[in-house]
Amino acid sequence: MAKKRTKTAGKGPRVLSGGRKRVLVVLFVPSVERDSATQIDQPRWVDSSLEMFGRVFGGATAYPKAKGIWRDDERGGALVKDEPVVVHCYTTPADIQNGRNLAELGSFCRKMGREARQGEIGLVVGDEYFAIREFGEE
Amino acid sequence: MKTQLDMDKIAKGLGAERRGKVTSTGGYFGAMQLLADIEARLRVPTGGGRPTDPGWTERRLVPLAPRTLERLEEIAAKVREHGGMRVEPMQLAALLLEKTTEKLGQDEAENLLRPSGAV
Repeated sequence: MAKKRTKTAGKGPRVLSGGRKRVLVVLFVPSVERDSATQIDQPRWVDSSLEMFGRVFGGATAYPKAKGIWRDDERGGALVKDEPVVVHCYTTPADIQNGRNLAELGSFCRKMGREARQGEIGLVVGDEYFAIREFGEE
Repeated sequence: MKTQLDMDKIAKGLGAERRGKVTSTGGYFGAMQLLADIEARLRVPTGGGRPTDPGWTERRLVPLAPRTLERLEEIAAKVREHGGMRVEPMQLAALLLEKTTEKLGQDEAENLLRPSGAV
């Protein structure tokens, strides 16, 4: 009987550095206020989000503007059209479940929601969508 | 093995509401998550060679339809274009198979069984 060949991969160098970053965090940076008309300083918020993701999770990528729409149920279902920038951050399960990191990410989202007068800040972590709607002062 | 995230803890830590699952097996987020998995898991073996997952120690012949193989080849090519990672079509198949079997819960697996005597 032929011996079963089982090739075992060793613990060789990683293909990409940065550890096993397999959790994707996605943040939507809006372009307009909740009224759908007032422009916000989107480049500033994109830069701030990249700095926050870089500092807290080690890096992120902002993609070019997309087209988006959001139904504001608290304003009679008014449709808010905007051009969000989507920011991607790959992180580890440990880092995204770290209380201090979550507090910093949540704090950034609340600040953006408050100062950019949003109805909701959307985040995707792994395979779940999270909505931040309470932007009370820190 | 996939690490389960404690979504309640994440929601509490963020001060956010959980609003439901995004499409994690298809669409934009599925593609991005697949890319993240590939980049996180494939390693160059100690003795050299193409990157692989050290946990993939079993080898089996899997019959495929030509269109499935073509699709895997297309996706692998796109992954290479997007992320620069060299992934082979059957490595992609192994990863997709693993993700699907992990998502299939015990109850769903039991539902796949026909009751004895059923036609």
